[in-house]
Amino acid sequence: MKNKIILLVILVLFQVSAIFAQQRNITGQVTSAEDDMTLPGVNVIVKGTNQGTVTDMDGNYTLSVPQGATLVFSFIGFGNREVKVTDQLVINVTLIEDLEDLDEVVVTSFGIERETKALGYAVQEINAEDISRTKQQNVVSALQGQAAGVQVTNSGGAPGQSARIIIRGVNSLDPNADNQPLFVIDGVPIDNSTIESGGTPRGLSNRAADLNPNDIESMNILKGAAATALYGVRAANGAVIITTKKGKEGVVRVNVSSSVGFEKVNQYPKFQEVYGQGFGGVYDPDSFWPNWGPSMDDIRQIDPNAQFYDIWRDAMRTGTQYDNSFNISGGNKNANFYTSISNLDQEGIIPFSNWGRTSARLNGELRLNERFIVAANISYVVSGGNRVPHDRFMERLVYNTPNADINDYINEDGTMKSRGGNTNPIYDARFSTFKDEVNRITGNLRFTYNVSDWMNLNYLIGTDYYSDSRTSITPGPLGIEGEQPLSSTGFITETRINSRDLNSNLFVTINKDWNEKLNTTLRLGNDVFERDSERVDATGTDFVIPQFYDLSYASQISNSQDKRKKRLVGVYGDLTVDYADMLFLNVTARNDWTSTLPIGNNSFFYPSVNLGFVFTEAFKSPDFFTFGKIRASYAEVGKDTDPYLIGQTYTSPDIYPLGGQVGFTRFGQFGDLNLKPERTTAIELGTDLRFFENRLGLDVTWYKSNSKDQIIPVPVSNTTGFTTFITNAGEIENSGVEMILRATPIKNEDFRWDLTFNASYNKNEIVSIREGIEQIELGNQFGYSGSRAYMILTEGEAYGNLYGTSYQRFGASEDGTHLNEDLPIVIGADGFPVRNTDLLILGNSTPKWIGGMSNNFRYKAFDFSFLIDFRAGVDQYNQYDMFFAAFGISERTLDRNETRVFEGVLADGTPNTKEVWLGQGTGPDGQNYGAGFYRNTYRRLTENFIQDAAFIKLRNITLGYNFQDNILGVVEFVKSARLSVAANNIILYTPWDGFDPESFSAGAGGNATGFSGLGYPGVQSVFFTFTVGF
Amino acid sequence: MLLASSCDDYLDINDNPNNPTQAPLAGLMTNSTFETAQNVFRLGDITSNYVQYLASPNPASSSDTMEESSFDNLWENLYGVMTDLNDMILKAEETGANHYQGAGQILLALNLAMTVDSFGNVPFSQSFNFETITPAYDEDNGLYTEVLSLLDQGIVNLSQETVLPVDDDDFIYGGDAERWVKFAYMLKARYLNHLSGTGSYDPAAVLTAIDMGFDGNADDAQVEYFDEERNPWANVAIRNENLFLGGWISQQFIEATNGTFGTADPRLFLLVGATDDGQYVGVVNGAGRGSAPEAGARSTLIPDQFYTTETGPVLIATYFEQKFIEAEAAFNINKSRSYQAYIDGIMAHMRKVGVPEGEIQTYLNSPEVGMGEAAFTMDDIFEEKYIAMFLNPEAWVDARRYDYKYEGFDLPENLNPDLNGQFIRRFAYPDSERSRNGQNVPDVSLLDRIFWDE
Repeated sequence: MKNKIILLVILVLFQVSAIFAQQRNITGQVTSAEDDMTLPGVNVIVKGTNQGTVTDMDGNYTLSVPQGATLVFSFIGFGNREVKVTDQLVINVTLIEDLEDLDEVVVTSFGIERETKALGYAVQEINAEDISRTKQQNVVSALQGQAAGVQVTNSGGAPGQSARIIIRGVNSLDPNADNQPLFVIDGVPIDNSTIESGGTPRGLSNRAADLNPNDIESMNILKGAAATALYGVRAANGAVIITTKKGKEGVVRVNVSSSVGFEKVNQYPKFQEVYGQGFGGVYDPDSFWPNWGPSMDDIRQIDPNAQFYDIWRDAMRTGTQYDNSFNISGGNKNANFYTSISNLDQEGIIPFSNWGRTSARLNGELRLNERFIVAANISYVVSGGNRVPHDRFMERLVYNTPNADINDYINEDGTMKSRGGNTNPIYDARFSTFKDEVNRITGNLRFTYNVSDWMNLNYLIGTDYYSDSRTSITPGPLGIEGEQPLSSTGFITETRINSRDLNSNLFVTINKDWNEKLNTTLRLGNDVFERDSERVDATGTDFVIPQFYDLSYASQISNSQDKRKKRLVGVYGDLTVDYADMLFLNVTARNDWTSTLPIGNNSFFYPSVNLGFVFTEAFKSPDFFTFGKIRASYAEVGKDTDPYLIGQTYTSPDIYPLGGQVGFTRFGQFGDLNLKPERTTAIELGTDLRFFENRLGLDVTWYKSNSKDQIIPVPVSNTTGFTTFITNAGEIENSGVEMILRATPIKNEDFRWDLTFNASYNKNEIVSIREGIEQIELGNQFGYSGSRAYMILTEGEAYGNLYGTSYQRFGASEDGTHLNEDLPIVIGADGFPVRNTDLLILGNSTPKWIGGMSNNFRYKAFDFSFLIDFRAGVDQYNQYDMFFAAFGISERTLDRNETRVFEGVLADGTPNTKEVWLGQGTGPDGQNYGAGFYRNTYRRLTENFIQDAAFIKLRNITLGYNFQDNILGVVEFVKSARLSVAANNIILYTPWDGFDPESFSAGAGGNATGFSGLGYPGVQSVFFTFTVGF
Repeated sequence: MLLASSCDDYLDINDNPNNPTQAPLAGLMTNSTFETAQNVFRLGDITSNYVQYLASPNPASSSDTMEESSFDNLWENLYGVMTDLNDMILKAEETGANHYQGAGQILLALNLAMTVDSFGNVPFSQSFNFETITPAYDEDNGLYTEVLSLLDQGIVNLSQETVLPVDDDDFIYGGDAERWVKFAYMLKARYLNHLSGTGSYDPAAVLTAIDMGFDGNADDAQVEYFDEERNPWANVAIRNENLFLGGWISQQFIEATNGTFGTADPRLFLLVGATDDGQYVGVVNGAGRGSAPEAGARSTLIPDQFYTTETGPVLIATYFEQKFIEAEAAFNINKSRSYQAYIDGIMAHMRKVGVPEGEIQTYLNSPEVGMGEAAFTMDDIFEEKYIAMFLNPEAWVDARRYDYKYEGFDLPENLNPDLNGQFIRRFAYPDSERSRNGQNVPDVSLLDRIFWDE
């Protein structure tokens, strides 16, 4: 089919190639209106084409232009200018400085630049400075708080750990669906998946973390379905369009940047520091129980040397980060290049956790002749590190006694020092290693052929290939008498993941100026995507020689293999109509064919239309009203699924062969034979208003999107013969409002203050599920003895609801689904609260409000900025708190030896008056209280651990000094120099008792964000950066 | 048209290269026999603390205190095996492989009965073939009818010639149809005997089944483990030796065998390990090990004993168990047959675990054990069967039928307060079932009894 399209395009090409408009060479110089300085690097483009050039060091340009064309001059920080070419040969232009650029150009689909004012939908650009300032090594994290409607959550504080990005809420209910936007670099999509470790979570990276943030020129976030209709199914959740830096015409520029950073835990939970090791108030230095012993005063009566250590703080380190990067760029009239090398080394706050990234990039563009342009980008990245099992590390800290130094973890013979039979987490972190190394090449080629002044042809082909080698080792016994090994056998797992994406995209653009006012552009294209991936795991157990870790020297080997291939083919059309710089209409249509759905159901068509109306052009408006636009759009997007989901299969469990036999079992997943694509329908209304020469701007968007026919692996009762049923089930509705407020309150020669505030509100509802299915369990997280928390989808309720057990409420309706906290708690005859084991809705893990505020100040050579971000209306399951209550670690448990009357009513409604003791064993009243209130009651109620996870963070604060000419003049070849200090997350304001609530155990690939798990603690950091340009 | 068809070819790559759509009968047999043994272990691993063979080294451990626990994995594994057996039976029926069909029916009966004995009412009639995603719960006593019917069908299928004999893919009998038939009769006797406390108890029918059952220890249904996959109880013992604590012996079991309640039992030394001082000391359930260190001061499972040999068997159904069933069923019909079966049961178990013949005779000759037919009571059967069924989940069925009345048998310390001072009578339905099939899950407490226990 692809060939057919190419053929068609070639035919069209030949027919039209006979028609040549008259070309002429235009030269000119671009200067700044403010100071008459020449402006190098200004983009000069023939309007409606990709034909263009940039000005040289002296602001000069030369361009071959058809008669009647319009030249568009654009430069960052200046307003655009358009000049119609009539019969002049020299066109000199002055540009007016304008940081609140009216005619800002954004990159939309396929690297197509469009003026913001022409768009009928919301797009937000984040520039290079906004990204580098955050000092976030993960480009996803760098977006935090910077864009309206964009929720970025770090899954934890581990070096290289994944961050999750969600635009305008979750569209797919599938707990494993990638609800994250498509990442596109220089017009070609890349892979941003996160492949978590099997078993215990280790905080692996999302693949966009392989990108060196210093290479990025700009990031544009396409939020709505309208903006993404052209990328098809893969952009159903929006798109992040990344443009990397290009060389500019003129002398070669060199930039060197070096930065060093330090980090530590930004918030600890509140611990009790009174009670030590033992159970039932009895001291026992060998006890499994770390904190149910007597008070330290009592312990010191038994052992005068006993100490109470803060093992939580003792176990953590100061993390470090070294980042060095170097780039060279340059170019002339016909070619330009940009090349960079960077290296990052990071050590985390949990001992032995680290991550690094070394990247190299070469971007180049060559203009072969007036018509033909070739551009190529290639990058090579090596990334990876040692991923400490943070979940296990933190869980083991729970069990470890505070009466021993946690850092005293190893004996002289190399065996572990253990207390109470518990594994020391630092010993485990040191010897149970998990190392990954990713080697990745991404590259693309772009061919542009200007067939005529009104038609051009583009072909982009790109690949994203990576191999991810993972080696996980857990040592067995060292063979030393009396040792407690980490594992009774020890094992090594070698994992090899290879993944290759191919993208091919061919499109033709036809531009027509019908008259002075009416202009149309039609784009037709075809794109093809293929992902081919394979994973092989080999595990060897029981090492023949202790500490010799190699598959060949393991007593038992087991293997598994997983191959996946997926293809997508699309054809699309895109028509834009501009009328008098006032009315902008855009219509798109696309059909996709996917390999992942049953043939017959695998073709899907979807259209979009959007309209922008600049009413300030149409009507006379007061002087202070600089610009006003309203916009509206309607769009549909289809969405397919993963390969191999259809039907029923069998599998051979990893344990085989046994005794020469290979066993088979029915695979737990059954895929609906009539699976069809998901569909999202979105409408959007918005306005863009600017006042006082752009000193004040307001952008407001309202949207509503409905995604139906959701492809969901519904967890089904094991009694059906399956564990999951993949089917089209349900509809989710997201609606919300986004607001961006921009202001430049102060602007003069020496001082300038820019402020941007964004906030968004999202509301979602599960409109329907499916006949016969009332609920779908999205996921759950462990809690002791009935305190497990669940994320369950229920018709008519919001996405992200958290369910669990609760205190029985007096007068609560029998079939109520929500916990009514206002009702009194029912107290049992024994004087303790009664548990309600029905699963009720206890909270919701999707933030209602997210937003951020950035402030940039510039005073002479100094600049100062800070970024605040917040989220509100969000709850999470605090698994730490559950463990801390169960093990007597939390500050709350200080009342363990008190007597109290629980507030509440008895079954008959009369107030409770029975006094009870909270402690373990026999109380002051002679009653036996068993394991005590915290273990018998408190830890067993999910309600106690569903907690408000809202926060306000000072995400970043930066102070910079740009060396001035008087200093730079000393060293002639230095063109620029900058020194800056930045701090991240130094203020966290949250009602959450625990580590930073911005943490979830699922990793960025999962949607079960309601579970904090025993996540890698969040960090605060400080960075010192020095940048020099030559 | 051309465009559409070439596109279809290009996109026709969705056949799963990782999983086949059909499974060979032999593969299903291998996994079903292996996983059935695993299920016996998985269930026994839980119930051994309830019947106080084992005790947790930690105080107030949920395993000992009979807390409401969610046994999701056990549930998934029981239904996983039953699903595979369902497929094996259907496929065998299609191809006329009646021995596979019969063995499948017997194993299905066994796994179903284990499920019913632990959970009571459970889904079955609407299970496995995806008729509904929320299968209804069938009554427990109705499911017993199904268990017995499956055993009868299995006997019929295995008693005929087959086009496709079962071979080494069968980890229990290596394809020996005759022993499969005996196994079916033994199970029939077991499940008919579970009804001892109900009005429909028919001891004569139990004895009729026993007559067709096992003829000796050689007939025992068991799976021997592999170099690649060690016996799960051996694993517990090895892990405990490496200080991943588990397999600690309850004081109850020690006292039942060390002579506290009667004659010292030579099996004690063959089933559990001694302390560093050569003593046999147990842990009181729910109390934890107190001030005892992690190793050397209490009895635990230790590697390389009968139940803990790396390539040793997990016992599914045995001749000695059958003998105790016989003793119980015959007690009111033919007391001398009952007494003889009781003696034979002890002897069969002692030989199974390797007690020397001389010591067997000494034990049987002691007045507390060989008390003679006249003084012989039903209590003697239950007490001796308790020792013989060490680690086997059938012991929990017996304990409930016997109302936990074993000599010296006390409630665990730190007992789950919800039990109001009584012993646990069933498992709670697992959390996974409550969240996925909640509308159908019966509302029960841990004190609600299975139909044969009411």
